[in-house]
Amino acid sequence: MSGFLAKVLAECARFGAERPAVLWLLPLALLPLVSAPRRRAAWADLRAVPPDPLSRALAGLLWAAGCLAVTGLVAGISGPYRAGERVTRTGTGAEVSMLLDRSGSMNETFAGRQPSGEEEAKAAASRRILGEFVGSRAHDLFAVTAFSTAPMLVLPMTDRHDAVRAAIAAIDRPGLDYTNVGRGLAMALGQFGAASGHASRVLLLVSDGAAVIDPRMQDTLRAAFAKIRPNLYWLFLRTKGSPGIGDRPTGEDTPQAAPERHLDLFFKSLAVPYRAFEAEGPEAVAAAIRQIESLERDPIPYVEVRPRRDLAAWAYRLAALGLVLLVLAKLAEVDLARGRAGQGTARAPERRMAA
Amino acid sequence: MRIGLPWRRNLRDRRFQMLAAALVLTLATAWVPPLPLTRDGVQVLAVVDITGSMNVRDYTANGRPQSRLEAAKAALRHLVAGLPCGSRFALGLFTERRPFLLFAPVEVCENFTPLDGAIAALDWRMAWEADSRITAGLDRAVAMAGEIGTDLLFITDGQEAPPLRAGSLPPFEGQPGAVRGLIAGAGGYSLSPIPKFNDRGRETGFYGETDVQQENRFGPPPADAEAREGYNPRNAPFGAAAASGTEHLSSVRETHLKELAARTGLAYVHLDGTASLDAPLRAAATARPVPGRLDLRPFLGAAALLLVLAAFSAAPLRALTVRTITLKLSTPTKA
Repeated sequence: MSGFLAKVLAECARFGAERPAVLWLLPLALLPLVSAPRRRAAWADLRAVPPDPLSRALAGLLWAAGCLAVTGLVAGISGPYRAGERVTRTGTGAEVSMLLDRSGSMNETFAGRQPSGEEEAKAAASRRILGEFVGSRAHDLFAVTAFSTAPMLVLPMTDRHDAVRAAIAAIDRPGLDYTNVGRGLAMALGQFGAASGHASRVLLLVSDGAAVIDPRMQDTLRAAFAKIRPNLYWLFLRTKGSPGIGDRPTGEDTPQAAPERHLDLFFKSLAVPYRAFEAEGPEAVAAAIRQIESLERDPIPYVEVRPRRDLAAWAYRLAALGLVLLVLAKLAEVDLARGRAGQGTARAPERRMAA
Repeated sequence: MRIGLPWRRNLRDRRFQMLAAALVLTLATAWVPPLPLTRDGVQVLAVVDITGSMNVRDYTANGRPQSRLEAAKAALRHLVAGLPCGSRFALGLFTERRPFLLFAPVEVCENFTPLDGAIAALDWRMAWEADSRITAGLDRAVAMAGEIGTDLLFITDGQEAPPLRAGSLPPFEGQPGAVRGLIAGAGGYSLSPIPKFNDRGRETGFYGETDVQQENRFGPPPADAEAREGYNPRNAPFGAAAASGTEHLSSVRETHLKELAARTGLAYVHLDGTASLDAPLRAAATARPVPGRLDLRPFLGAAALLLVLAAFSAAPLRALTVRTITLKLSTPTKA
């Protein structure tokens, strides 16, 4: 019973008006009670007329029509609506938290030069290809985090793909100084909301280098990865001739000497699904993105917003109904003085043919 | 039973005409389309200063101290919420000597939730350097706004760190007025201490006088250096005494910001409350036509309502006037 009541209350709460102040005019609907648009009849006292149920019914109907007309118009002017719904459905996609490198070297080409002529900078290539990735599937959710010296939250998790593309469009602007990947990872992990349910979560790191993550940060990250359990993809935009992910340095094998290799080792030790893509050109980047797209095909709950419904048309329709009755009544008005004596007068001033 | 109706009299009746007109107006709401019209939208790049001095808590919100950055964020969120649909908004950060674009312009209504979230997430911890060379940052922000084809809203407190060399504002390289927009000065008019944070981001107190550069001692010494105590052209070109001053305290540097605004052809406004940016930005920005529509139904409905009310209240009103007239007429004859 209380559940039913709550449902009714929730349903009522969804009705609203664009100009609620107009509703203060609603008491005007009582005006037909005190006055009518009829001509006045010279009749000393209505009590002289025998009670007539038909006349009473007609009077009540006309009163109701006047009330309906005023109420309908006031309600129509106030702009009534029924609020839109948020319906959760299930589609195919993933929650993708993108972590984008905005360090200065991203503005160079894959050959490690300043771009010239037909060449494309790494940032420009990833901008183009990631932009195509976003929006290729309708129900993906994206969050964007940038990092250089400090991590920057660019966009929180959202289904608005235009905004995500706008954030990706900014990555080929001149970058900043350093690559501080540890804090960036922490912030990108923080972008997955706690209440996101069973959707598959993807952490996509796009960078052209790596840096040492200090041991304290490593522990924090390990704990965060264990809690959130995202699928981790590292799109490594490798500059030609620079060390790759798997290359052992010639000298000592320390994180400082080969940060890429040690970041890879760290990712592998996290016990989350992890893949690294080494891309040495725009085609390789596109291929990697396609592969990620095909791997992430899990059901994802998404929210569909149903638009709100305008109820003003209904209010005006009701007002029109009331007005039609009133207009017909006015057309059918007779004058007591001109009406025939006898039956005409006996029916009191409220007589209406048309009603 | 048949009664002859007084058609003519009924049709001539004012109240009938009013009700009929109201009915026509009400029926018209069903097919009158919304009127297409153009509204003045804006396209704006908002660049927010996130340097240390923006952490100064010299605003109040709900009776509690509020930092300049929080005040700026609240004002920006209010601004974005009030922009007409079709307006576009881009967001950038400023620290060191350059703006950093977070995202390119996006439409404000469709993408309101992520925009609002992104503004709410602005944090001084995103800063990549501790310097605050506002003049350089503003010049580059103007250039950036020009590149992406928007107007500029630059929110800062105007505190240069390190301080500018006395009386040496570098020339503006762009064309003043080519990019329109607004500089919003954040901060109170009296000096307040600047909070200090450790490398873990925890607040540890306030900056002291010796913590910051009080005078710019790069480049040649100023003209008055020879008069200073302990001046030595080689060993102490700036004088022997340590520079003292109030650079460790902060207030909004309005004279500096107004100078910068005049130099770049922007307008200036003091950030004072959540709604303080809305009208000045609309005034300063280029009006970009965005399609809008005007629903005509409320106007038709209001006219119909007036007619109905008039029809209903005509009789009592007339009765009232007739009675007063009769009274007025009858009184003198009696007397």
